Amino acid sequence: MAEYTKYVDVTKCDGCRACMVACKNWNDLPAEPEKFQGSVQSHANVTANTWNVLSFIEHEDSKGNLDYLFRHSSCFHCSEAACVKVCPEEAMHYTDFGTVNVDSDKCVGCGYCVQNCPFDVVQLATYKDKNGKEYKKAQKCTMCVDRLEEGMQPACVTTCHTDAMEFGTQEEMLKKAEKRLSEIKDKYPNAMIYNPEGVGGTHTIYVLAEKPSVYGLPEKPKVPTSAVVWKDYAQPIGKMMLGATSMALVGAFVSNKLFNKEGKGHEEDGGGSHE
Amino acid sequence: MSNTQYSGVKVKRFSKGFVIAHAVNAISFFALYITALPMYTEWFDWLYPVLGGPEGARLLHRIFAIAFITPTFIWLIMDPKGFLRWGKELVTWKKRDIQFFTEFVKELFGFKFKHVKQTFFNAGEKINSIIQILTAILIIGSGFPMWFPDLFPKAVVQWAYVAHNVGFGLAIAVVVGHIYLSVIHKNSRPGYTGVITGEVPAEWAKDHYTEWYEEEVKKGNFPDLDKDKNKKKGA
Repeated sequence: MAEYTKYVDVTKCDGCRACMVACKNWNDLPAEPEKFQGSVQSHANVTANTWNVLSFIEHEDSKGNLDYLFRHSSCFHCSEAACVKVCPEEAMHYTDFGTVNVDSDKCVGCGYCVQNCPFDVVQLATYKDKNGKEYKKAQKCTMCVDRLEEGMQPACVTTCHTDAMEFGTQEEMLKKAEKRLSEIKDKYPNAMIYNPEGVGGTHTIYVLAEKPSVYGLPEKPKVPTSAVVWKDYAQPIGKMMLGATSMALVGAFVSNKLFNKEGKGHEEDGGGSHE
Repeated sequence: MSNTQYSGVKVKRFSKGFVIAHAVNAISFFALYITALPMYTEWFDWLYPVLGGPEGARLLHRIFAIAFITPTFIWLIMDPKGFLRWGKELVTWKKRDIQFFTEFVKELFGFKFKHVKQTFFNAGEKINSIIQILTAILIIGSGFPMWFPDLFPKAVVQWAYVAHNVGFGLAIAVVVGHIYLSVIHKNSRPGYTGVITGEVPAEWAKDHYTEWYEEEVKKGNFPDLDKDKNKKKGA
């Protein structure tokens, strides 16, 4: 199956927040009353129950003019996702569309994904079961995978009235982004396509009017080195070491049976009633 | 198994403080190991229902984590002298400690070996102690940022997962050897009784920790086995 990408052209966004509402609505996400953030922005960041936040940034450009920048923010659906790498339960996984999803049945709420996402997107939601027992599950934007499976587009894309968001094959969307970039370069000299290589590229690509840091995005996000050391080296070596010591001791046990039949050496025996 | 090879004379090797600290350490280590296994690898996911689900496993892991921190303090408070001797021996390395290992390999695999004179802790126990101290620092030190991620910078929390894994991997590899020697390997087995009752057969203690045994004989704490043997021969 072809990989799909959400294209976000922030220069076309007018900050209407319909994408936030559509996301809440389609995914049945509960409202989260928030304190006043000091701006029009409703939430500081995406949360476990708000997968899509519109950020509002007051920015002074190189000419000293005030620019009001908007960005639809949600999961980037990395091609080499840190959350997938560190998940001990294979709950975080890649879908057939190339996006990243959480399997809630497998998730045990350990939070490893939360700590390792370079974009701070994944969060833990708290639930209560019938007996009142609390448990946690990782939550984030699913790219409306249930809609994709029915041949529909993500709810946020469908509802966007300025066409700031589009959805299609990766190739198409990248072409679109490059074309748009050439159109806006005169107006926004710092404009760029945000599709970071450090995470293998993403399935939500942006055309940004300014540098990523202006939008609160990491300039060069990557799968944390610690996650690579942990999962690709420390854990396999740990398993190997346990196996190696166990095998050495099985060898020692067999060798003792073969060469030390009479308990020779210093003839120590039992020494207690622990056998 | 009977104690036929020994005369039955026992000597005190470990204080009550050590016995308790060692037991708390061993029990909490294994409880931590079991409660963490399903998070370490999905092969052990079947343990979740046994441990009360992921939440139950996590709660138990944290309770035993607290217990795991206490042995150092238990030993230090109940038996400061023994604790300090341990510390001193860990940093004292002589030629005989290196010689110990060549003989120990023969002993481990059941071949003929000779005893190299050792003090209270032999070189193998010293290496075991040093690795356990280092891994405990790694495991406990990294446990805090994992438990309270909000109090630490993100990079510290991310590297804590690595440290916790490395510490655990090293510790379990060493512990497997430690347990094999204490409960399965014939020649070292009386040491196991020692950490439970505090007492070990005198002959065994003399063979394995000769220098320490001779010191205690000089102090008049332990029987002089050579003298006793000569007496018997003479009789």
